[in-house]
Amino acid sequence: MKKREKWQVYIIGGLCFLTAASISVQYRSVQKYTTKADVSVQSMSENKLRDNVLKEQENYQKLTKELQTKLDELENLRKISASNSEESKQLETELSELNRLLGYTDVKGKGLVITLEDADSSKNGYTNENIIHDLDLVDIVNELFNAGAEAISINGQRITTSSSINCNGNVVKINNEKISVPFVIKAIGSPEGLYGTMTRPGSYLSLMEDGAIKIKIEKKDELTVSKFNGTHQFKYMQVAE
Amino acid sequence: MIYLTIIICSVLGVILGMNLPTISYSYSGYLAIAIIAALDSVFGGITSVLKKNFDIKIFVSGFFGNAILAMLLTYLGEKLNVDIYLAAVIVFVGRMFTNLSIIRRYYIDKIAKKYEKKTKMS
Repeated sequence: MKKREKWQVYIIGGLCFLTAASISVQYRSVQKYTTKADVSVQSMSENKLRDNVLKEQENYQKLTKELQTKLDELENLRKISASNSEESKQLETELSELNRLLGYTDVKGKGLVITLEDADSSKNGYTNENIIHDLDLVDIVNELFNAGAEAISINGQRITTSSSINCNGNVVKINNEKISVPFVIKAIGSPEGLYGTMTRPGSYLSLMEDGAIKIKIEKKDELTVSKFNGTHQFKYMQVAE
Repeated sequence: MIYLTIIICSVLGVILGMNLPTISYSYSGYLAIAIIAALDSVFGGITSVLKKNFDIKIFVSGFFGNAILAMLLTYLGEKLNVDIYLAAVIVFVGRMFTNLSIIRRYYIDKIAKKYEKKTKMS
């Protein structure tokens, strides 16, 4: 074989390599984005709707990532500017302390993890007691705070001073973010104290267990409760002299 | 030699593709059209090899040029709300069929000639 022909073969091989790689990547992507349900019903408008949903999801993920990097940047800038003088250093420690109290930072410590899951629908039918409602979460959060929990998050949503827990159809809305089962409630506090309160006879969880809801309670030596992603807005509140 | 290289490289490509991360949904349409353009170039290349006017420069430039042009047209179509990519698909797939028929004819002729020779010899 001539020398010139040899490198031609390599180039063709390289292009085939590229084509095969992109085909398998595309195949896997398409597999990921199409579910079995929408193969049977393939109408034009439905495809478009799915298109939009997927695009919005992508956009949302991108924006949250961007927000995270910007927040990290801000944190860095704050640290840099604080290192200049003694006074600003003091302010910085004060600020981080306040952020910790307001729920703007990830916190870790001993605590309890409660996992709640809806009962199997095959068990005594699909009744009201078989699913977890927003009010159940409210009661559990109240009991946890009562038992001395210092920080609580449900599925990564931090419970802050302005958090609300609402029913939103088949999902629950916390801090304006929709979350759904399984609910993972993380609470930082004395594990024994929290555990005792949550499992005592007559506690809210023991009542829920009667309704066949799956409950798992774990004591943890170290767990991280993620920070509050939104902002507190105070328009009308002023300090009373 | 050439077919062996193509097969080995394709298998390696599939293995690499299985380990690469999946691409995001809004770009998968572009990759799809690029794949069709690339396949068209490959079949065009095989045809030109059989016709003995294969030129590597034309092959490589067609491979990348067609893919990029098809992606640009798809992008333009998305902006104008016209499915221009359909035109690209029709052209590429049409050409693929033409090229495939040329390849088919070539090999059928070859086999037929061989068979004729054998019958004449015996």
